[in-house]
Amino acid sequence: MGFEIDAVWGAMPRLMNAVGVNFRIAMISILLALLGGTLLTILRSFKIRIVNAVIAVFMSFVRGTPLLIQIFLAYYGLPALGLRLSPQAAGILALSLNSAFFVSEILRGSLPSIEDGQIEAATALGLRPRPIWSKVVLPQLFRKTLPMLINEATVVLKGTALLAVITVVETLRVAQQIGSSTFRPFEPIVGAAILFLAMNLVLVTIGWVFERRFAKERR
Amino acid sequence: MTLDPTVITDYWPLFVQGAFLTLRLAAIAFVGGMLIGAVCAALSLLNIGPVRAVITVYLALMRGIPFIVIVFLVHFGLPAFGMRTPAIVTGTVALTLFAGAYYVEIIRGAVEALPKGQWESARAIGMSPVAAARHVIVPQIISPSIPPIVNCTMTMIKESSVLSAITVSELTYQGLIVQGNTFAPFEVFITVALIYWAITMLFHMLAQAYDRRFGASTGRSSRMSPIAARYLSIDGKSGT
Amino acid sequence: MTGFALRTTGLVRRFGDLRALDEVYLDIPYGQVVSLVGPSGCGKSTLLRCLTYLDPPDDGFIEVGGDWLGRERLSNGTIRRRSRRDIDRVRRKIGMVFQALNLWPHMSVLDNLSVAQRVALGRSEAEAESRARALLDRLRISEIADAFPGQISGGQQQRVAIARAMAMDPEILLFDEPTSALDPELVGEVLRLLKEFAQSGMTMLVVTHELAFARDVADRLLFMDRGRILADGPPQQVITQTRDRRVRDFFDKVTAFHPKFMQAAAETEDES
Repeated sequence: MGFEIDAVWGAMPRLMNAVGVNFRIAMISILLALLGGTLLTILRSFKIRIVNAVIAVFMSFVRGTPLLIQIFLAYYGLPALGLRLSPQAAGILALSLNSAFFVSEILRGSLPSIEDGQIEAATALGLRPRPIWSKVVLPQLFRKTLPMLINEATVVLKGTALLAVITVVETLRVAQQIGSSTFRPFEPIVGAAILFLAMNLVLVTIGWVFERRFAKERR
Repeated sequence: MTLDPTVITDYWPLFVQGAFLTLRLAAIAFVGGMLIGAVCAALSLLNIGPVRAVITVYLALMRGIPFIVIVFLVHFGLPAFGMRTPAIVTGTVALTLFAGAYYVEIIRGAVEALPKGQWESARAIGMSPVAAARHVIVPQIISPSIPPIVNCTMTMIKESSVLSAITVSELTYQGLIVQGNTFAPFEVFITVALIYWAITMLFHMLAQAYDRRFGASTGRSSRMSPIAARYLSIDGKSGT
Repeated sequence: MTGFALRTTGLVRRFGDLRALDEVYLDIPYGQVVSLVGPSGCGKSTLLRCLTYLDPPDDGFIEVGGDWLGRERLSNGTIRRRSRRDIDRVRRKIGMVFQALNLWPHMSVLDNLSVAQRVALGRSEAEAESRARALLDRLRISEIADAFPGQISGGQQQRVAIARAMAMDPEILLFDEPTSALDPELVGEVLRLLKEFAQSGMTMLVVTHELAFARDVADRLLFMDRGRILADGPPQQVITQTRDRRVRDFFDKVTAFHPKFMQAAAETEDES
């Protein structure tokens, strides 16, 4: 059978049309995860014992079970609870919820690296808790955790490929479709792999640009 | 809503079979991956340009491509080059290659974290490179590597669920089979999730027990001011 | 209502069995410059932290510009705790310059000065910025408005911290060891700056080791030990005429090793 590089290029136009699906789902999920993860972290800082215990259980579940199963639960399982979602919506729900917990864990890990004095200075100036979070804590937290957050974003992006399994017509799914119609399954997958690498590179570059910007603030 | 108990009462042997295959896959990926990891880490530490470049490409591919795509690459790639192999073999190969990439970084990171003088002093007193590695380097990297290796192995257990996509009959695949028979997806996937959760919790607890016994204490040495703790800590009692 | 910028009554702070503050009574009228000295661990820093309510006192009362901070005593004698929101409101009347400065590293100097004006005082962006620029001008550091704290010198950082506190137009400025983190050649410069503020009528409470400042600039010198104010009066009087043995010992030790002060003391003796 062999490997025909032309078959890879032949599959590219259709694959590239699907790249936008992955990128869009990833971006929406990442933004939701950042928002959710941030709110979750603030909620945890209130130190309400029951709330934190519940969050800890969910955290353990999300980290202890495969993302694929979480996707299945969102798509196949939720209808049993009366919530029927489209494959894309279920995918976004699973990815962003999963990632929100990881984001919260990343942020929490870096909280103690913010100096006490930063908070004390803000408090002494009479800032209320909300601006202390929004002006002092969170901006520093995002700067400190940027490399880890970018890494998490690439994890989400890679996670979008799993949505092929619940029939979202994204890059991998299109590659499979091309494969079954041409009887050359390998080459389109190679094409998909190349495109995922490229998308990853775009994300990492975006992160690098941000990091460069923040680096200027330091000595 | 009522739960369908037959999912468990009638089909529990499938879940058990699936769970065992999942554990077997993870075990093989662990052994094979550690082998790849050790060899690649040693090779890349030798600092031979082309060798290092090949390893870098390998790591970049494994980290940049979604695991499910890697699985299909191996699954369709081996036959494309004339190697007809059953799904269980291609699945194992994919998982092992994937695991190896993570182990390389763990091992390499542990070696690079050692003070530079360790290697040089061993060589200076006349140890051969192999002897220096065996008696000086390896004993020192084992302990710090164990937590990340356990962590990574847990990841492999979770990632192995992706092999269901190429019909490897591990836990997730068995879940899909039971789902097809019972049309009770909620019960099935909750059951599957709980089994994965139990397995990873077990590993997690082992890692914690190890940490308590041998790990360095990681307690914050300085006391946080109560005002700052209101924002910067998530445990303990609420601030005054 | 009172003529005092700051007044404390019976301030107590306990850490376990230790009384870090042991019934501190203190009145500071508007326009007065007070210098607070004492051996390390005497309660100076605790006092400043209690005055800003970063470390709430266990007992006693604080009034800032006639407003109760944290707890109030009603005319019928009952004591009421104020809400966190109210504490934050009254805190704005106190400007605190921390020993560690605690500038926010992720904001430009201008933002460090204007954020609190906007979100805590509700000033408009233009208003906050012009106030900030005026202060930077006054402190002669207008050229670093757009720099980040990590990019400027220690002396400049010190001025930014002072400007940040002053931007809120507080009733009183508190300084925690303003010169201790500075290179020796910068100390004089900061002391000159404080002298300028003093002459402009700013109310200040300065915790310091610099007896030269205490003697030359301050209107009043407090000596603290073991959580109590042991001496209180015009600086020269406290330094030279105090009868309390602990106070004597302290000044004897410090003056013996402090050339700048010895010189100053010698000059005073010449004059009298």
